[in-house]
Amino acid sequence: MTDIICPLCGRPNPPDREECKYCQAPLKTSGFAASPEGSDDLHELFSTSGENTEPEKPPEPGASDLEQAIPDWLKETEASFKGKFEGEPEEPIPDELSGKPDSLLSPPSESPRPAGSAIDDEWLASLLDEAGVNQPDQATPEQPEQGKPFEESPEEAAWQPQSPAEDQIEPEAPESTPKAEKPLPAEPAQKPEWLTKLEASSNIKLEGGIPPAEPEQEKFPHTEALEEEPEQQTPPEWLAKSMPEEAAEPEKETEKKVEGEIAPAELPGWLEAMRPSEDLTPTGPVEDVSSEDIVTAGPLVGLRGVISAHPSAIKARKPPTYSIKLRVTDEQKARVELMEELLADEEKPTPLPSPPVISSRYIFRLVVAAILLLPIFWMIITKSQSSSTPQPGNIPGVTDFTQQIQHLPAAAPVLVAFDYEAGFSAEMNPAISNMLTQLMRKSAYLTIVTTNPSGPALAESMIADVYSQQVGSRQSYPYYADLGYIPGGTLGLLGLATSPKSVLPYALSGYNVWAGKPLDTISAVKDFSAVIVITNDADTARIWIEQIGPQLQSSEKPLLFVSSAQAAPMILPYYQAFPSQVQGLVAGLAGGVAYGRSIGNIQQNGIWDAYSIAVTISILILLVGSVAGGIVKLLASNKKEKS
Amino acid sequence: MKRILPITNTVIAVISGVFVILGYFFPGSFGGIQSVLIGWAIILAAFALLLGIFNLAWVHWKKVSSEGKGHVYSIVLLISMLIMIVVAGISGPTSALTLWIFNNFQVPVEAALLALLAVILVYAGVRLLSRRPKWNSILFLVTVLLVLLGAVPLYFLGTIGPLNAVHDWLTQVPAVAGARGLLLGVALGTVATGLRILIGSDRPYGG
Repeated sequence: MTDIICPLCGRPNPPDREECKYCQAPLKTSGFAASPEGSDDLHELFSTSGENTEPEKPPEPGASDLEQAIPDWLKETEASFKGKFEGEPEEPIPDELSGKPDSLLSPPSESPRPAGSAIDDEWLASLLDEAGVNQPDQATPEQPEQGKPFEESPEEAAWQPQSPAEDQIEPEAPESTPKAEKPLPAEPAQKPEWLTKLEASSNIKLEGGIPPAEPEQEKFPHTEALEEEPEQQTPPEWLAKSMPEEAAEPEKETEKKVEGEIAPAELPGWLEAMRPSEDLTPTGPVEDVSSEDIVTAGPLVGLRGVISAHPSAIKARKPPTYSIKLRVTDEQKARVELMEELLADEEKPTPLPSPPVISSRYIFRLVVAAILLLPIFWMIITKSQSSSTPQPGNIPGVTDFTQQIQHLPAAAPVLVAFDYEAGFSAEMNPAISNMLTQLMRKSAYLTIVTTNPSGPALAESMIADVYSQQVGSRQSYPYYADLGYIPGGTLGLLGLATSPKSVLPYALSGYNVWAGKPLDTISAVKDFSAVIVITNDADTARIWIEQIGPQLQSSEKPLLFVSSAQAAPMILPYYQAFPSQVQGLVAGLAGGVAYGRSIGNIQQNGIWDAYSIAVTISILILLVGSVAGGIVKLLASNKKEKS
Repeated sequence: MKRILPITNTVIAVISGVFVILGYFFPGSFGGIQSVLIGWAIILAAFALLLGIFNLAWVHWKKVSSEGKGHVYSIVLLISMLIMIVVAGISGPTSALTLWIFNNFQVPVEAALLALLAVILVYAGVRLLSRRPKWNSILFLVTVLLVLLGAVPLYFLGTIGPLNAVHDWLTQVPAVAGARGLLLGVALGTVATGLRILIGSDRPYGG
């Protein structure tokens, strides 16, 4: 039966148990079985490294008992070492390494170890400690010094395999080493002392044991021959290859010195370094978990020092509640109340003193409005015509405007743009009505467009009013087409100039005006007999002049303007230029009245007198009010200076 | 897509602008495509106007819904808009009913605003010297008086010849000079902006 070693407490358990009877740790997954037989046990211990898992091979025929007693791991180690150094070609030593022969002489896997760690197997050391066995110095293979990797301890020498080919080669024993000066007596190959003590103290018995080793002379029958022939003391072939030449020469000298002496049976340093000592560790480093809790539920039951995977272990708990009430002293409370009072006072807006409903300013505004409006009402009611009306020759552009329309052929297509705001109707209606009257007398075909959304309604109203006055009844002028609103501002006007049919294909009434006469001959703006723009904005007038004017100039068609008084100063330079870009201009109320006189309409219905008296009163108010205000201000400043 | 879209917009804008400009210089070769592009722009402008109307209605509708400050005026606006849309949609934009609403509501309201502006300007001119007795205030007031005196024949006095000459000089020389200077500045800015858009360094359409 094979016992199972607990991975946690290291105690053996019966194979039928799934948990450690000492610490309840699960055994099936991580424990390892311990054989009660001594040799098998040791072999199992060595084979737990996971590398030496091959079955033990039967001894080769003809092999000696000592060879059969050599552990397999040692044989394999030697074989691999041979293969390594025999199989690999000798490579030249790099320059940077040639200066460090000592370090290169050491085995490649050798690492410096502390002097006290002679037994590098921790598990073995712990077992020895448990058994109370002190580690004798002679049982601990000493760490070979640098540059002397082939020293052997007696124990290692006892374990060293001797192949038939190597029988004639005595292991080197340099004289310079202390142990070479005091060679140990040849001991029979038997169990090492530490192993004997370990067997005695442990419950793992080595049943078979290691067969008794033959005497040294039997073990190394070639020793005498070597004493007689010291010159033949050369290292094994596989060992010689691994030695650098630089290191081999001093060793040869040393060999000459120690010729005649039997080399102590020591395990070479390189062999010691290659022992799978670390792999023999039965378990990993064991943490002291004796003080930890044992998991009582879940898949990790019985384990100590692990985090339980049971859901109850991670069950959410209600978090502790803490009081959010601040602990403040009475003094702090008083300060807080004082701060709150201050903030409350800040939020309250200070009410401004409400101004009196009837103030001096209010009365003054009413007086100004009354002074302006009352005369205007009076003039319009009485239809006064006492003021002299402006003459067409005194207003620039009126005469030319009248003549341009007068020169139009009968029933000529005229493009009229109603681009003014409804608020300017009072100022511009006299000029527009006179213009429409003159056009209707010529039976001109009016094509109405506008860039102002309220333009179509203004045009419809004006045309209807003017025609009604002419015919005496409410009728619609038959020769006109209202094409409506042109969106896009400047772009719309550009499109109208190049292709009016595509920009405005239909009239507001819904029919295609371009299919019938007289617009069927119109393909561009230049095909109209004249273009009349009615606007109160200087920018709108400029856009029309810039976008439409060039086409009309090329065809010598007139571009006429009816504008408000505020836009006249900007349009007038286009009219006064040479060649003029605007061929006629009627600006403001004065221009409208003058234009009316030029076409024989002298009736003004008191508008001109109302306009005249309103301007006169405005001048008086400004003069008197400004002078009075200035004097009052001056007096007030003098008083202030005196005070 | 975020990289391709701005590049596409830039290419469209630059090509469109170049074709429209070439239409001015070579109307025979590029006049046709210029007209097409301008027609598209006019359609887009009309659609923008429609969007503006819907946006205005939506803003005032939200103001009425939230009963914000002055929401009564928003109610008046929405009702007026609804009435005009219904009337003009049913009877037509140039029908007698539509023109009656226009002539009896919109025209008087806009004229009243301008008349109110006249009264306010006179009142402000009177208080100018008492509020800001500076030399530039006096210059401003004197200029206003000279222009008014020369604009129309005064009641009971008639036309004053020298004042007419002063009026003409003031309106044609200093006023037009200042206005032309502003226009030249605007034109130069427009040219610079157009060039920046043509070379793609200014992208007001995004990207």
